[in-house]
Amino acid sequence: MAQARLDRREQITGWAFIAPALVLLGLFMIYPIVWSLWMSFQVGKGMNLSFGGFTNIMRLTKDTVFLRALGNTFTFFIIQVPIMITLALLFAVALNDATLKFRGLFRTAIFLPCVTSLIAYSTLFKSMFATDGVVNQALMAIHAISGPISWFGDPFWAKVVVIIAITWRWTGYNMIFYLAALQNIDRSIYEAARIDGVPAWARFRYLTIPMLKPVILFTTVISTIGTLQLFDEVYNFTAGTGGPSDSTLTLSLYIYNLTFKFMPSFGYSATASWVIVIVVAILSFLQFLVARDRRVKP
Amino acid sequence: MNRIASRWHQKLAVALAGISLLTVAAASAGEISVWVWDKAFNGDTMREAGALYTAEHPDVTFNVDDTASQDDIRAKLQTQLLAGSTEGLPDIVLIQDDIAQKYLQSFPGAFEPLSDSIDMSVFAPYKVAAATLDGKSYSVPFDSGVTGLFYRSDYLEEAGFTAADLDNITWDRLVEIGTEIKAKTGHLLLDLDLNDTGLIRMMMQSAGQWYFNADGSLNIVDNAALKKALETYAKFYQADLVKPVSGWAEYTGAFTSGEVAMVPVGVWITATIKANADQSGMWGVAPTPRMDLEGSVNASNQGGSSWFVLSSSDNKEETIDFLNTVWAGNSQFYQDILIKRGAVGSLLAAREGDAFKASDDFFGGAPVWQNFSDWLGQIPSVDYGTFTAEVDAAVQAQLPTIIEGGDIDAALRAINDQATQQMQ
Repeated sequence: MAQARLDRREQITGWAFIAPALVLLGLFMIYPIVWSLWMSFQVGKGMNLSFGGFTNIMRLTKDTVFLRALGNTFTFFIIQVPIMITLALLFAVALNDATLKFRGLFRTAIFLPCVTSLIAYSTLFKSMFATDGVVNQALMAIHAISGPISWFGDPFWAKVVVIIAITWRWTGYNMIFYLAALQNIDRSIYEAARIDGVPAWARFRYLTIPMLKPVILFTTVISTIGTLQLFDEVYNFTAGTGGPSDSTLTLSLYIYNLTFKFMPSFGYSATASWVIVIVVAILSFLQFLVARDRRVKP
Repeated sequence: MNRIASRWHQKLAVALAGISLLTVAAASAGEISVWVWDKAFNGDTMREAGALYTAEHPDVTFNVDDTASQDDIRAKLQTQLLAGSTEGLPDIVLIQDDIAQKYLQSFPGAFEPLSDSIDMSVFAPYKVAAATLDGKSYSVPFDSGVTGLFYRSDYLEEAGFTAADLDNITWDRLVEIGTEIKAKTGHLLLDLDLNDTGLIRMMMQSAGQWYFNADGSLNIVDNAALKKALETYAKFYQADLVKPVSGWAEYTGAFTSGEVAMVPVGVWITATIKANADQSGMWGVAPTPRMDLEGSVNASNQGGSSWFVLSSSDNKEETIDFLNTVWAGNSQFYQDILIKRGAVGSLLAAREGDAFKASDDFFGGAPVWQNFSDWLGQIPSVDYGTFTAEVDAAVQAQLPTIIEGGDIDAALRAINDQATQQMQ
């Protein structure tokens, strides 16, 4: 009995301790989220909002710019995330090799892009990929191209630059997770495999990858969310237009333009924001589904 | 006893009167805060205007904030007005003419009507029209975006042309001249950014047209001026006369470095061009080419902005008095900012001043300011409407197809469809 009362008092104290955090979380996280859901059913310009039911959702399905932005976002996601995850994994395995010299240096070099500010590196990439930039000069010097490529003047190349940029920025970040995970794998497993004569690629394929599965899943989900929220890079590359011809317009940039650049329609941009939430939820669920452990029946 | 009490009362009354006088003085000794976006241009110009007013009214101070970019100012203003929070908003904000109507119509009551207290007839009419809603004008016009064709006179000469060859020509003729310049000197004619519709809008306005009809509905598919402008834009690319650039730094870099021969642009670019003192005497300014279309003239506008007073200002009276005395009344001030900053103001009387008549050695001793003010009077006035940003985005989406020789009518239909969608 006394024990139970103490529990209750402990419980009250515990709740009291987290109450301020909960209140703040409710006020600044949950309330805006619920409010934005309510707002996504509102129509109108500026502050003259009225309830519009499913008007915004109907408008979204017919909005070619929105569909273009959604398409671009998926292109970035489908091409960039696998490239980055594979690269990160390869770097991690290579840099985990105890016999490699200057390991610390390489690890730092690959992780370093991650600590640069998004704005700073976007500006740098923009100048590197300018028509007179170092990239064009280098490519012309090795005779890979005959004339300069207008990287940001061509819808295809503009997408390529975005993919190169975000891969450069985030590969090191993902690599760190793999390095940490690799160091937790018991060396004796590899030793046993080696004694059994398992070749290196098979050790990677059948030992390393299965052991890293939870981390791979985690980084894939995180990268997916990150790509769907892509904003800073494209905003800086194209002065906020997502050009040329909307080829680098992402969902986040479109939502920003709907609210701050165009005649403000908050309801509609809230609807577009919820599309990101739903897409992230679906993709994360699918990734968990694909990666779930298939139990072997005894 | 009675007498003492009454004397005490007197003293109290005097003291109270003194305090209330002090309060009145404190309320009138205001600070006028201003948001601008370009330190060297509109920032310093406003500071000079402020200094003129402070000399007469020592109790008024100015706080000119030029730390934010124009995009940031737009976003800040829009966010605060939407949220209904006037805390931290300035007394005066600079707004570009082509988005003025969006603010006036989306935020009724946010800006102070000025036409009751300031005589608007002293300014260029097209500038006043841009900020007039329901018969009231809300701005004191600042700089004009009157356009000209800035060109490298040395390249022109090398290709065998004289300044007279650029006088009141069409864009088609410019393509021919550009081809010749490229063949003789190796320099491209101009640089263009596919994320910027400035040149197309400039061409369209030279024919007195815009994206919208008088009633605000879209004027795209049957807009002959827009169609012609897009065709002309494509011609530059098809004749291979364009250096593609992206962003402001690359855009200005291409002509300040001497890589391209010409730049058709608003007069406010003068400060950027003249920043390269070693190019003095190598530049000239010709009238804006016109389109080969009835009604198109050799004058147009690009950009240009005006001063707006926010209704939330707590010292409106001085703010308006300041704008009235300096910006609407001091013709000499406009001579100063023209010489120092290259700012072509919109005060009509200022055009009679000395500075406007002077020649400029940087531009080969030509009376460029007199020319600009002549062109200023010819600019066709258009209604910029409220959805220019949306239609701009729709035009930009079609530009890569257009420059590759795509069908202009199909592009116009696509622009119309996208803009209709966006204007809901």
